[in-house]
Amino acid sequence: MLALSIFPLVFSLGLTFTNVNLFRRVPLQFIGLDNWARIFTDEALLETLINTIIFVGGGVAIQYVFGLALAVALNRGLREQRLMRILFLLPMMVSPIAVGFIIGRMVFSEGFGPINDLLEAVGLPAVAWVTSPGMAKVTIILVDTWQWTPLMMLLMLVGLQGIPGEPIQAARVDGASEWQIFRHIVFPLLLPVSITAILIRALEAFKIIDIIRVVTGGGPGRATESVTAYVYNVGAKQGDLAYAASAAYVLLFVVIGVSFLALYISRRVQERYA
Amino acid sequence: MKARWITRTLLLVAAFVTLFPLYWIVITSFKTQLDIGVTPTYLPWVDFMPTLDGWRWLLSEARSDVIRAIVNSLIVSGGSAVIATILGAGAGYGLTRFQYRWRFWRNDDIAFWFISQRMLPPVAIVLAFFLMFRYLSLLDTRLGLTIAYTGFAIPFTVWIMRDAFAQVPLELEESAGVDGASAANIFFRISLPIAVPGLVGSLLFAFVFAWNEYLFALMLTFQQATTVPLLLASRITSFGAQWDQLSALTLTNLIPAAVLGIMLERFLIRGRTEGSLK
Repeated sequence: MLALSIFPLVFSLGLTFTNVNLFRRVPLQFIGLDNWARIFTDEALLETLINTIIFVGGGVAIQYVFGLALAVALNRGLREQRLMRILFLLPMMVSPIAVGFIIGRMVFSEGFGPINDLLEAVGLPAVAWVTSPGMAKVTIILVDTWQWTPLMMLLMLVGLQGIPGEPIQAARVDGASEWQIFRHIVFPLLLPVSITAILIRALEAFKIIDIIRVVTGGGPGRATESVTAYVYNVGAKQGDLAYAASAAYVLLFVVIGVSFLALYISRRVQERYA
Repeated sequence: MKARWITRTLLLVAAFVTLFPLYWIVITSFKTQLDIGVTPTYLPWVDFMPTLDGWRWLLSEARSDVIRAIVNSLIVSGGSAVIATILGAGAGYGLTRFQYRWRFWRNDDIAFWFISQRMLPPVAIVLAFFLMFRYLSLLDTRLGLTIAYTGFAIPFTVWIMRDAFAQVPLELEESAGVDGASAANIFFRISLPIAVPGLVGSLLFAFVFAWNEYLFALMLTFQQATTVPLLLASRITSFGAQWDQLSALTLTNLIPAAVLGIMLERFLIRGRTEGSLK
């Protein structure tokens, strides 16, 4: 475990102080802080960082709300819920490569995709799903949401199992509405599980790359490029491993910062409810 | 019942949104390349003639590759999911029931350290893995990939199991302890059964993660230990995608994971222990 976690970390950190390049045969040199200085003037990195934060913020929030709603709906004792639970788990089991190509590229295709075709059939204007910078971001979030809402549902369903039945029954006897029960009993008790689910999902979402590379290729322009995609381009395509590692470290710092902030806020919220 | 009505509408909409793309993958697997490029077609026999080309490719030409990839995927994903869930359960239980202190590190810091392992973008660490695995002769082995995926899944399984055990009422364990049960007995007879939904969630999550992982499989395997995602990616060439083959393979890849989901779904919902605390 230590070897798996520490070695890559130290290795990458070491890279950031060098001039290692995959394609250019230059003697290995330690160039100090040059890569780190370059970071602060790199506008592309800043733009991809903002994109990434939009994807994570927007996508994870939507996935959490949908996942929670589905989990609650499927925990109510309806007859068809066993079948529904399995059905709603399916998207996360579809390979992301296939999701990107078949759903991202075909279903959302502006030329031969069914969505625009159906929109036009009912008299609505076609949408520029991938060619408009704004809509392309939405498309990425939608595809990501289709794939990962099931994970949120799974984790929230697990969380719901741990909630004791007595306070809910007591509240129901006292005449509380379903919404009041959810708002004042179920939701506060679900907070710790919610935080874990959001954190797990956000950490993966921060590294979003597959869907982007397949569906929009980061375009139009740089409108949907994430930091991970940028790191990949700099490292694997341009061969500049040292700078790619530095950019990856920037993402690491941002993620650690955001995680700390999120855990701090969540602790405060929990204290308020406790 | 207004709430019930809202629930049903929500489920119906969600079912449609979930099913439509899946339906699209199914019909795409029966289309020819020509059917796909022009305008969308929706119904077999009505607006396109289904062919079995994609499936025929899967079952004849590519059969041995497909079987090998699925066997590899099953071993690697199943192995890493089981190991990561067992270790995650142990660590998760420890983090909720005992107070650890190492210098200024407390339980919450240890938990945060676990999850922080997943923060670095994979592109940044894959090269380090490659070098490490080459040194250890783990390249292109199922064992190597299993070790890597176990390492990636553990931070998540620890957190999922920590929450699951935190929801087990302490009174239950204490009353068992008063009755003379040993620590191991309490863990296996009382806490673990109550945390079964957490175990199942953690297992499913770790399995699906490994099942669909692409980047590390690409870098760490070449031939013997390749997994299904690599085979999927091979259907996408510089000339474009082989849509029918890609779709047929996607569905084949979905089946084992879906079977696992169907088998485990019943354990997601806890029934028996309701009211075990009086």
